[in-house]
Amino acid sequence: MTTFKKVLKITALALYLIAALLPFYWITITSLKDSKEIYSFPLKYWPSKISFNSYKQLFSFANFGIYFRNSAIVSLIAAFAAMIISMFSGYALSRLKMKRFKNRILLALYFTQMIPGFIIMAPLFTMLSRFQMTDKLSTLTILYITMVIAFSTIMAKSFFDRIPISLEEASMIDGCNIIQSLFKIVFPLTLPGLAAIFSFAFVNIWNELFLATMFIFSDDKMTIPVALNSFISKAGISWDIMSAGLVVSLLPTMIIFAFAQKYIIAGLTEGAVKG
Amino acid sequence: MKKARFFLLILLVFLVGITAFSKVVTLNFIEVLTSPGRTKVLKDIIADFEATHPGIKVNLISPPYEQADQKATLMLNTRQPLDIVEVRDYTIKQYVNNRRLENLEPYIENWADAKTLSVVANKAARTVNDTAYIVPQFFFIKGLFVRTDILKNLGVNYIPKTMSELVELCIAITDPSKNQYGFGFRGKSWEFKFSDLIATSFLSDIDPTNIYKTKDGKIYFSDPRAIEGLRMYKRLFDKATPKDAINWGFNEQVNAFVSGITPFLIQDPDTVALVDNMLGREHYTVVPIPVGPSGKAYLDYGFTGLGIPSYSKHKKEAWEFIKYISSPEVNAKLCKEYGPLPIHTSTFENDPYFSTGVYSAWGYMINHPEKYIFASYPLNSPKWPGWAEVHQQYMQSFLLGKISLEETVEKWTEYWAE
Amino acid sequence: MRNSQRKLFIMIIPAFVLLILFVYFPIVKGGVVAFQNYNLFDLTNVHFIGLDNFKAVITDRNFNFWRICLNTALWIFVSLFFQFVLGFGLALLMRKPFKGRGIYSALVFYPWAVSGFAIGLVWAWMFNGQFGMINDLLLRLGIINNNIGFLSDPKFAMMSVIIANVWYGVPFFAIMLLAALQSVPKELYEAAEIDGATKLRQLFDVTIPYIKPTIISTTLLRTMWIMNFPEIIYGMTGGGPANSTNILATLMINKIYKFYDYGQGAAIGFIIMSILFVYAFFYLRLTSSKEVVL
Repeated sequence: MTTFKKVLKITALALYLIAALLPFYWITITSLKDSKEIYSFPLKYWPSKISFNSYKQLFSFANFGIYFRNSAIVSLIAAFAAMIISMFSGYALSRLKMKRFKNRILLALYFTQMIPGFIIMAPLFTMLSRFQMTDKLSTLTILYITMVIAFSTIMAKSFFDRIPISLEEASMIDGCNIIQSLFKIVFPLTLPGLAAIFSFAFVNIWNELFLATMFIFSDDKMTIPVALNSFISKAGISWDIMSAGLVVSLLPTMIIFAFAQKYIIAGLTEGAVKG
Repeated sequence: MKKARFFLLILLVFLVGITAFSKVVTLNFIEVLTSPGRTKVLKDIIADFEATHPGIKVNLISPPYEQADQKATLMLNTRQPLDIVEVRDYTIKQYVNNRRLENLEPYIENWADAKTLSVVANKAARTVNDTAYIVPQFFFIKGLFVRTDILKNLGVNYIPKTMSELVELCIAITDPSKNQYGFGFRGKSWEFKFSDLIATSFLSDIDPTNIYKTKDGKIYFSDPRAIEGLRMYKRLFDKATPKDAINWGFNEQVNAFVSGITPFLIQDPDTVALVDNMLGREHYTVVPIPVGPSGKAYLDYGFTGLGIPSYSKHKKEAWEFIKYISSPEVNAKLCKEYGPLPIHTSTFENDPYFSTGVYSAWGYMINHPEKYIFASYPLNSPKWPGWAEVHQQYMQSFLLGKISLEETVEKWTEYWAE
Repeated sequence: MRNSQRKLFIMIIPAFVLLILFVYFPIVKGGVVAFQNYNLFDLTNVHFIGLDNFKAVITDRNFNFWRICLNTALWIFVSLFFQFVLGFGLALLMRKPFKGRGIYSALVFYPWAVSGFAIGLVWAWMFNGQFGMINDLLLRLGIINNNIGFLSDPKFAMMSVIIANVWYGVPFFAIMLLAALQSVPKELYEAAEIDGATKLRQLFDVTIPYIKPTIISTTLLRTMWIMNFPEIIYGMTGGGPANSTNILATLMINKIYKFYDYGQGAAIGFIIMSILFVYAFFYLRLTSSKEVVL
């Protein structure tokens, strides 16, 4: 590659990076500014003195620690459960022989993506309140699993599609039944794919706002998105705590996603199969 | 004999003790104007209440402001266990329609503090069917906030008393090159409250039960006096506010005021606490709303109140709490922390916090009914919930020059006509 | 083999139990509302009104239905186009390993990890006409002389929300396409080179056809997601100013949250689903996909 092309490539990569990070940079320095400085004019691109006041306020006044814990527990459990369930359903869809049935199921799964969430909210609420299932984190967890299961299954199926059935057939000739061959042979090869499913699910669940607002009432059960939303009042947005809150809530997803995207790419690549 | 009586006494005490202990009632109280500051004060008040009322606990539910109304509505409609619900002026009719609120007249009859409720408070309580379904807690009435320090710097030494004075002054001090404008314009999100305030001041025969109608039953928009008012409003937008103001909500209005870009701001009293915090009391003051050419201005009174769900199982205890929080002392305390106007006339007269300083502007307006007439919005009309969106759409188009004033007014009138 | 096929059926059950209970069942109930006069303002006389809700939505004098459909189409297709092109570009740039690619990808892909709500807020703040960073930068660089009302001027509003949406969606395409790119066998490129094809030719003749299934499915999925997740628009403009960024999904939200009219809201939801269904059907037909692959 010529030097000119190299420079072009590096410039392009740099531009992408700057565009991606700019909002994050802006929010981070806003969270580190003193409250009065946030609305000052002209705009400051670096706080005149770094203040962690917003963060202090966030954790003391706003009880953010509890929300963080709730979000973490619900997201981890739901994402993990979704991963396991989709593992089975994805495998099944991949290996199923009846073409028409398979396509109908796939269509049903894609169909769920066409549904605007808002029209299910009210009937769901009415249904669950009848069974006293509202204001429970366990209910929320189950709803979250449902929320991501369709896409997770679709993803899982595509991962399993890339693994030739010959491997299982070989192991079954050796005497394993289907479950055993599943666990011993196939799953290890799809580990990257599973990591991908887990992290997509985790990110979507962690960020989910509407179900959480609707189904959780008690303060001690709220999740992070609800907490962030509560920094918006009739008086508008309190940007000091809001920016601190946004930074804190972005970090886990950024970290998980950072690790995961490596696996996603590896998982989606056909090169995951040897020989 | 003595032994038996003694035993009986012990048994009696025991039984009473048991029932007293087992009678811890937990009330579920949902607030809708949630804000971190106010929730904290509410929790303090609840703690005080629980200390003086053993046997009653209050569980405060605080959904985020943006979804709070939907939450409360959904919970009421699906009969979730609730005992006290904060009701807004916008939602009261809906709840009554769906038979979700208890009639509070019998309770109020026996309430001593009811005597000092202000006229406006009594009016607000009986918004629907002339029956009290709520006890109002706060009032939001517009006042004119003025950056006295900025005016001083600009060499202005008077405060406008009429609408035209206000508009002309705002235009005069506007200098875009210095990023100096005049008026904190409200472009979106219930912006009709502001345009109505200015437009109706040009009339003198508005119907106090429906601010959109004149006393002879016609919708006010097409009245030539209103047209004049609306033209002036557009002039204000064109010449004395940043273009961006078409997208300004509460946040932006306050920010512009605090940063000095627009030294004039019309807003509710709960803004006082906010501006004190962001700016400092010494930099500004509040004066009564300027009057129109007829020497009058029509003021809308926004409010929220507390109601008891019709299906609540603890109505008596819920009423105890409502009485407590609506008493002159506690109500005054809440209002001082949170900012809006209290519900008792005694508070206005006796508490220096409200009778002097910035709050005296509102006191003045309340005490001069010949100049300031309280008019209410048609909250009971089924067309009310959708009005904000419709008004905003055409107002924004008009301000941006996309449609004429005639067309705008026609569409608005069409909406309400029936 | 029959036995194991049966076992496969059983494996699908858990996922579908969840879906049936919490999605399909409520949808039916929610769908019924579209044909009723279900308005929270007065629930005492709810009854069936046939297609009246649909008629009301389509002939609404205050929210022009066709304008909103146009906005929706603009929002979806312009966003999709830029997300795809930029995402593809990024994937191509990152295809060959380079030093620090791991860290780079962790950073450049993170917008996908941000919630729609946060994106709406942050970008609204950045596009703010008075305190926004974008206006400030443009002013400082001398590109403009006066603050632009990005979210208050109908000319700019749609463009601004699309920019935020593109920022969000690029990583999705970049990741999916990067993975697909890496699965293209090297032999195909070698063969093309021998035939004298330039890099650009190779792109169009080798790469794109090979990863076509991935392109089809990602664009289709993303289209559905863009249609059904309007948090970005809602957080930035609420559908305004003057209806210029109002799409079907935000209209639906407004009907429910502001007008309390669940009936009309559900009707719009129906319309959205039908549009997506028809679209998916024809899209897959036209691109002659036999099966949808990721």
